[in-house]
Amino acid sequence: MSSRSLLIAAAAFGLMALQGPARADVEPEALVEPVAEYKLYVLDNLDAFVGHTRDFTRAIEAGELERAQSLYAPTRVYYERIEPVAELFADLDASIDAREDDYEKGVDDPDFTGFHRLEYGLFKQQTTDGLAPYARRLMSDVKDLESRVQGLTFPPAKVVGGAAALMEEVAATKVSGEEDRYSHTDLWDFQGNVDGSQKIFALFKPLIAEEDPAFVERVEDNFAAVEATLAHYRLAANDPEAGFVSYEKVSDKDRRALVGPVTVLAEDLSTLRGKLGL
Amino acid sequence: MSQSPAPSPRLLKLGVLAATVAMLAALGLFALTLDARDRTDAGTRLVVTAEGCRPETLNVPAGDTTFTIVNASDRAIEWEILDGVMVLEERENIAPGLHQPLTARLAPGDYTMTCGLLSNPRGTLHVTANDEAAPVARLARQDFIGALAEYKVYLTLQGRRLTDAADTLHQAIAAGDLGSARAAYRRARLIDQRLAMATGLFSDLDQRLNARASDFARRENDPQFVGFQRLAHSLFTAGSTEGLAPVAAQLGEDARTLTTRLRQASIPPARLADGSARALQVWLDHSGDPGADQSALDARERLDLRGLTQGADKIVALLDPLLKRRAPPLRQRLHDALDTLEKALPDSTTAGDGADRDALVADTRALADTLQELNPALALNG
Repeated sequence: MSSRSLLIAAAAFGLMALQGPARADVEPEALVEPVAEYKLYVLDNLDAFVGHTRDFTRAIEAGELERAQSLYAPTRVYYERIEPVAELFADLDASIDAREDDYEKGVDDPDFTGFHRLEYGLFKQQTTDGLAPYARRLMSDVKDLESRVQGLTFPPAKVVGGAAALMEEVAATKVSGEEDRYSHTDLWDFQGNVDGSQKIFALFKPLIAEEDPAFVERVEDNFAAVEATLAHYRLAANDPEAGFVSYEKVSDKDRRALVGPVTVLAEDLSTLRGKLGL
Repeated sequence: MSQSPAPSPRLLKLGVLAATVAMLAALGLFALTLDARDRTDAGTRLVVTAEGCRPETLNVPAGDTTFTIVNASDRAIEWEILDGVMVLEERENIAPGLHQPLTARLAPGDYTMTCGLLSNPRGTLHVTANDEAAPVARLARQDFIGALAEYKVYLTLQGRRLTDAADTLHQAIAAGDLGSARAAYRRARLIDQRLAMATGLFSDLDQRLNARASDFARRENDPQFVGFQRLAHSLFTAGSTEGLAPVAAQLGEDARTLTTRLRQASIPPARLADGSARALQVWLDHSGDPGADQSALDARERLDLRGLTQGADKIVALLDPLLKRRAPPLRQRLHDALDTLEKALPDSTTAGDGADRDALVADTRALADTLQELNPALALNG
């Protein structure tokens, strides 16, 4: 057992003891607007996701390896932003975003499809050969996702809980670099998760800002710390579209530096539901 | 070697002692979370092995259930409760050896559970109705958040479409293209009528968009008479686009203003059903008059009714989960009333020679009346 996990365990217990009972002084009706605005945000991102997926999968079908490789990360980022809603559909979450570890036979499993199957072909095998059926399947899954989300009444607790879920996702699978193990585009996903989490926080912040300014400040400081570390690895400081360097180039020190604020964000944001009476 | 002076033996001893105590305490806490045995696991225990769930089938009573998921496989797993393909509850990233609690509130029914690898067989979760449990709690204000938020999204998206359709209508009128203008009018008016309940919240906009000639002193010739009915009078009765451009431009502006206001509007839950019933009643007041000497409703009256019915359908769909819990028979009657009306109003722009006016009026009245039962059934007060 490492001393770090002991420290984290101790810190977690300390935090839990400090938090005390959750408060719920927020009027339920006040949650209607942020939940609605969040759905509009998700719909906008889905719209962009469908468009980017079309370009990405067409490049694969046309056998344009380099173009397909360059479109992989900028396409995924939309899914990563809206993951709290997208992953409510278990079948599509599996066919779009499952990793080889989720299957008994790994990369050879016939059910292994979606982004990570394409990633394996494009970045590990360095070819578009044989990928067309996966590309077509991805396109139809993404369209299916869009129409299901359009018809979905968003469960308020899942929306609010999504802020913490996204940061837990970062802590659990992004920092280690296992999510995009062949493309090493983990920082794109990382940014997508952070964007999605920040959006939810920003929408509900006005409801708690007066009551709990210290909490709001701490969360904003930690988001700023994460953003600052991410900014360090941008290819072009002023152009978010340019993206990030390979995750292999992120120093161990910076990987560790990300764990701190991300873990505290996940802990802090997990109290949001209670604070909002959900 | 460093030049720092060696600490005193007493300080060193104290330090070692303190470190040991802290270490032991932390170890104890960690062991508690890692190594909980059956007796300390809360609620229903489920073990996930490399092959799947043990047991494969669980039976629990309806209401709050705490599950303890034990990961007995050698890799991190996630565990989910699924209703069809929808994830109801989940725990992600449960490390090997961990015991992870999860509390879920479940309604009676059959659910499935994911059990580690996606290629593993799914488990079955039977949730049985529990007669001894307290009767279903009254609906809380929280229960309406989802429906009200979804309605706001619907209004915003429909508002955007209305604005687009109004702009198209304006262009057709400006170009003097009567055929295109009539088609664009129909598209815009259908959306406008879907929104009728919500537009009714704003009397100024409601009047500018939807007022009828009979509301004005000089009827069709009154300079205050603008909006859809004014456009329809020229496009369909007089058969001309002449002089309509300013009216159409105003309509587009009003659609924009409406969209902005709808996004900010706060609609009380009781208004959903009441407002829909009221919008249908307004239509009945004008078109359902038993004294009117008409054998069939004209195409525009039917178009309006189609929009109103679609708007009511959205409301009923939003309240459906609550009606399922609180008033299943009323829910059924609402769906029946909507089905009847929607079948009687085919998507057609031709005049209503076939539609039986009396039957349509009766069906509309039935829907409006059934909608009025909704608030008492959900214990909502206006």
